[in-house]
Amino acid sequence: MIETNKNLSFKLSVTILMLIAGLFMIVPFLWMLSTSFQTPSEVFRQWFPSKLDWSSHKRIWTGSYNFLPYYINSLKIAVIGTAGAVFMSALAAYGFARTEFKGRDTLFMVYLSMMMIPPQVVFVPKFIMFNWLHIYNTHWALILPAMFSIFGVFMLRQFFLSIPKEITESAFLDGAGHFRIFFRLVLPLAKPALATFAIIDFSWQWNDYENALVFLQSPKLYTIPLGLQNFVLENNVDYNGMMAASSAAIIPMILIFLLGQKYIIQGVSSSAVKG
Amino acid sequence: MKRKSWIQKQGWIGYVFILPNMLGILAFFILPALFSFGMMFTNYQFANPNWKFTGLDNMTRMFGDDQFYKSIKYTVIFLLSVPISLALAFLVALVLNRSVYLKGLLRGMFFLPYISSGVAVAFVWMLLFQPSQGPINEVLRFIGIVSPPGWFADSGSAMYAIDVVQIWFMLGYNMIIYLAALQEISTEQLEAARIDGAGGATITWRIVWPLVSPTTFMLLITGLIMTVKSFSLIQAITGGGPSGSTTILSLFVYKTAFSYYEMGYASTISWFLFAVILVITIIQWVGQKRWVHY
Repeated sequence: MIETNKNLSFKLSVTILMLIAGLFMIVPFLWMLSTSFQTPSEVFRQWFPSKLDWSSHKRIWTGSYNFLPYYINSLKIAVIGTAGAVFMSALAAYGFARTEFKGRDTLFMVYLSMMMIPPQVVFVPKFIMFNWLHIYNTHWALILPAMFSIFGVFMLRQFFLSIPKEITESAFLDGAGHFRIFFRLVLPLAKPALATFAIIDFSWQWNDYENALVFLQSPKLYTIPLGLQNFVLENNVDYNGMMAASSAAIIPMILIFLLGQKYIIQGVSSSAVKG
Repeated sequence: MKRKSWIQKQGWIGYVFILPNMLGILAFFILPALFSFGMMFTNYQFANPNWKFTGLDNMTRMFGDDQFYKSIKYTVIFLLSVPISLALAFLVALVLNRSVYLKGLLRGMFFLPYISSGVAVAFVWMLLFQPSQGPINEVLRFIGIVSPPGWFADSGSAMYAIDVVQIWFMLGYNMIIYLAALQEISTEQLEAARIDGAGGATITWRIVWPLVSPTTFMLLITGLIMTVKSFSLIQAITGGGPSGSTTILSLFVYKTAFSYYEMGYASTISWFLFAVILVITIIQWVGQKRWVHY
């Protein structure tokens, strides 16, 4: 009995210690939120706002600096890009996992080896190519490449391989073709894996700064990261506005994380441990 | 026998599934990569039609470029964040794996920075590290450090401040993977050691740590590769400054290409970056067999 009490108080003190450590991890977010509700004279002087001042939040949505277009641009790119990536990757992953053709495994090795190529290698040729195709400085310059995810093919192939062969084979014997099996059998079975990949891919595209930096030029096409950067360049002393804008960029990701936590954590741990 | 002939008859259908994706990979990865490889041997500058093949000139230039060696040095400092974040993540995962309440909440708190990556986070840290009034230096002054570092504003400390942000960002990801690895360890093994009289520290160091070594190795390699490629965080916070002190290799490529439009030279540096990744990958292939205890 004394032993369990001792264990209990040990467990409790460890929990409190970890909560303090965890608080340090989220302090930047709390500070961001707190600052976004402060008045300019309160920034850096106090930890909490004296009263909730909404003017910074209003300013970034309605003022001369309006984040709404950036939001719509980001949403458009991330939604179309993710939908395309999920479908294209699933299709190819099925080809690699459940069909047999000449050179399949060699081709898969080529796919894997492409993961070693850093984005810096292809930025310049893509920049030239997109200029030539007249899609430089359009959203297509971000959407089209995003539809082809090597990571997605890799991850979904792993999942499709884990579907028992008997299931697809018995469908063969019943006379179903590959497309029927793919759409009617494999895709419904793979819903959790598709959801995991969709969430991860969406977060990458939502946060993507490097591609937008290279391929977009007109402010009206800017995504949230570029809009934010522009805001900071033009208003580098408006700390409240900066933090209100940062909150607006981060909060959707936090919501997605809270809703899809199960999928995200499963996906992150399974793809890495097996890969 | 019947099944095999069916597959042979349908041999083309695999290509139908792969083809759309393959065309995209070809257009956006393979062809640009080949193109870039060729550009390495030219003095191509954007919108300048008068370019020619210059052989190995770009390489000679790179190996004589001061900025190149500096960027390697900064890259190495940047990469220090990988092992440090791994060590911290291991400790956190150890604690979260046992003897703690509110496991889910704590896991979420540590993982949050990873999901909310991006420019927004960069600007928050910029203000936190603000030298004269920022909260971090306020706290440092409060505990008696009279002249705390200038962080991003000072070329001596900027790279280390970037490391702090990078460690904070990667910690949760590494922790999740460690947690998954720790859950695979059988409790019998640990019980047996405890009965033999081993203490907590001994068990951790002699049994748990070797058992998760494949995970550590994998995280180290993927972490190094991911970190060596990334530059958004630095571009957003310092843009490579002050006075070039955070221009790591990947950012150096970006600036050479899109600030100076020296695209041939930029391609050369980008292939050096590829060589670094290739070496890390080869170490992975060799090392997996040799250094990892299963």
